[in-house]
Amino acid sequence: MADLKTRFFGLELNNPIIVASSGLTDKPESVKEFSELGAGAIVLKSVFEEEVINEYNQIAQSKSSAHFEEFIDYFDYKIRDQVLANYGKLIKEAKSNSQVPVIASINCVSAGDWLQFASQVQDAGADAIELNLLVLPSDLERNAANNHQFYLDAVKEVLRAVKIPVSVKISNYFSDLACICKELANEGVAGITMFNRFSTPDIDIDKEKVVQAGALSSPDEHLTALRWVGLLSSRINCPIAASSGIHDSRQVIKMLLAGADAVQIASAFYKNGKPYLKELLKGLENWMDKKGYASLGQFKGKLSLEKVANPAIYERAQFLSHFGGYS
Amino acid sequence: MEMTAQEKQQQERNKEWRDELRKSVPNKDRVSIERVKMTEVAPEERIKSQNIEVNCGLTPEQAQREASRCLDCANPTCIEGCPVSIDIPRFVKCIEAGKFLDAAATLKEFSALPAVCGRVCPQEKQCEIKCFYAQKMKKDPVAIGYLERFAADYERESGKIQIPEVASKNGIKVAAIGSGPASLSFAGDMIKLGYEVTVFEALHEIGGVLKYGIPEFRLPNSIVDVELENLKNMGVRFEKNFVVGRTASFDDLKELGYECFFIGSGAGLPNFMNIPGENLNGVMSSNEYLTRVNLMAANQDDSDTPVLLGKRVAVVGGGNTAMDAVRTAKRLGAEKAMLIYRRSREEMPARVEEVKHAEEEGVEFHNLANPIEYLADDDGRVAKVRLQRMKLGEPDASGRRRPVPIEGAIDELDIDLAIVAIGVSPNPLIPACLSGLKMTRWHTIEVNEETMQSTIPEFFAGGDIVRGGATVILAMGDGRRAAANMHKYLSEKHAEKKG
Repeated sequence: MADLKTRFFGLELNNPIIVASSGLTDKPESVKEFSELGAGAIVLKSVFEEEVINEYNQIAQSKSSAHFEEFIDYFDYKIRDQVLANYGKLIKEAKSNSQVPVIASINCVSAGDWLQFASQVQDAGADAIELNLLVLPSDLERNAANNHQFYLDAVKEVLRAVKIPVSVKISNYFSDLACICKELANEGVAGITMFNRFSTPDIDIDKEKVVQAGALSSPDEHLTALRWVGLLSSRINCPIAASSGIHDSRQVIKMLLAGADAVQIASAFYKNGKPYLKELLKGLENWMDKKGYASLGQFKGKLSLEKVANPAIYERAQFLSHFGGYS
Repeated sequence: MEMTAQEKQQQERNKEWRDELRKSVPNKDRVSIERVKMTEVAPEERIKSQNIEVNCGLTPEQAQREASRCLDCANPTCIEGCPVSIDIPRFVKCIEAGKFLDAAATLKEFSALPAVCGRVCPQEKQCEIKCFYAQKMKKDPVAIGYLERFAADYERESGKIQIPEVASKNGIKVAAIGSGPASLSFAGDMIKLGYEVTVFEALHEIGGVLKYGIPEFRLPNSIVDVELENLKNMGVRFEKNFVVGRTASFDDLKELGYECFFIGSGAGLPNFMNIPGENLNGVMSSNEYLTRVNLMAANQDDSDTPVLLGKRVAVVGGGNTAMDAVRTAKRLGAEKAMLIYRRSREEMPARVEEVKHAEEEGVEFHNLANPIEYLADDDGRVAKVRLQRMKLGEPDASGRRRPVPIEGAIDELDIDLAIVAIGVSPNPLIPACLSGLKMTRWHTIEVNEETMQSTIPEFFAGGDIVRGGATVILAMGDGRRAAANMHKYLSEKHAEKKG
């Protein structure tokens, strides 16, 4: 039987299929199920600083009188304690229910909060931390350098504060994606996951309303990650996990060939149920058997930028020959 | 039919003496008088001791002159700003007329502790902000807080404190847990109604937050003691060093004949920020710091359990407790007494007067800064605090501008003592002893807001154990409401038994 072992999050994983942070990973029972189905690792649902801010606003509104000014002045810290305590409980219960690594996922907006969140999830017993660096660059006043610095500062702060491995999950909204990945890797992150997905607006033309587009990824989205895994896997100093749009074992294999050390999957489990994990693993094993690979190392990165015969294909931005054929 | 509060106010206002007093000075003369300035002990003098009260109070002449500024409005908006709806114009006009004891009596109709409230209420955000002068004339409001203090102090110093009438004993025993403002006002009302009232206090001093929390320089203990003495004279029993739930259980107390309980155990559990380094030596809560200084003389050289006396003391927070702690540090010899607050001066919840006093005393304000980590020296003692510099963003739901971190703007401050004063939570001990008591997710007791009755009928509650944290005057209001409703509950219960 093929050896699927790999490394990500600074940990040895039994296989490269990681259950991504999502609503499927917010309960100890689901973690247990995924663990029993043979996941490589499980990333818990993210804890968001935004949750704290929203709840604070609700309470501040209900207590907006001079009598409560002192009471609500730092109430956000109290809410945060409760949010983190609940998350800590989830981590502990998930850990005791799981045979595979359990990763905490945090999303913050400021350096101080990163520190606090990270040290508390470490204390709760998470095997590693995934920093969910989800910033939509929509602020007219923030330039690319500001954003770049935000990511590096967050990572530096957290790496200094915790001992467990720290990985990052980033979006592809960068004007210097390759450069930021290199710098994050040089800071010492235990992995970069590319990419996280933003909730996407859509417009309902009948109701003339802005609505939320479907939350699940579609299989053709995987090509974005594929390009960047291929471009960067052999050139940066840390493991890469591919994410967004990976729906079947063929896509898993493509990512590994491009140089990914692991893949993160959520939408496919939403669509096909948790046991689909077994099919993905089976598909990967069957392909490896067919190709005669005994371990991931034998083919991982075989088609990365460095190894591929025609590296320009990863970097080409224009559809030269493709559309030429249609003319 | 009973008169409404407004009808009673009008009736008082229409009395002949009030009418004559109004006419005795033209309004244009009244409004030309400048607001009185409180006489204060000079900063360099007062910082020499924890026991020097900063404000000296008004003289009778000052008080009468200030009272004459009040226009005795037909529609007194100041009352709307008072949480217990004190008939403010009535007591102010009593002062103008020189009837100081009547002024004190008026206050006591509404508030159990006027000498305390005159000192600690945030009047500038309550009654005074609603004063006609502030609302319509953009002038300094009548100094209602100073006048309240004057009337209460006058009565006390005159030696003519009147012990309110107490109804004949009805033989029913009730207990108050905790001895802060909520319990004291509860006890005062219940004893008047003829109940046998015992107040159980866990600490060795009665007075709750008034004693352990608020320092001498702002609220002398002697002021609180006089009020306690009054209650004792009325027949309230006080049991110190008595932790209900440990020393005796509620079942034990019920066996001793207590039929109903008022829980006013306050919010004695300090909140922390839970940031790295917060458990280093030299980082403590304001509760610990102030309690040890105020109640245990831990700042004295001969103390068995001395409190850390820092030279570079950082206090985190912007409320009255933070001000009390940082000004205490200054008095205990800190070379640098620093206040760290994440918003600007304008958003500080502390009373304006406390901020002014702190500034005069040389407290260093580090506004728009928020601790994110404490760093230790080689011995594991706090040596630095890392501060995230902040800016003000959009207003949040409370209407105050939200502090937002300035990216990358982090610096360090050398300190040897850090005091965290960012709020408190209810003490969990009492609720933990009572199964069936419904709590909120913030560990406060859920009560019917009208009656202050909890989900266990014989348990009423009020003050910070219900509100999480609020002003002394609100806590007192709770105590009084609980007393009225407990009386109703017990009366009905006993009537049923007899029936």
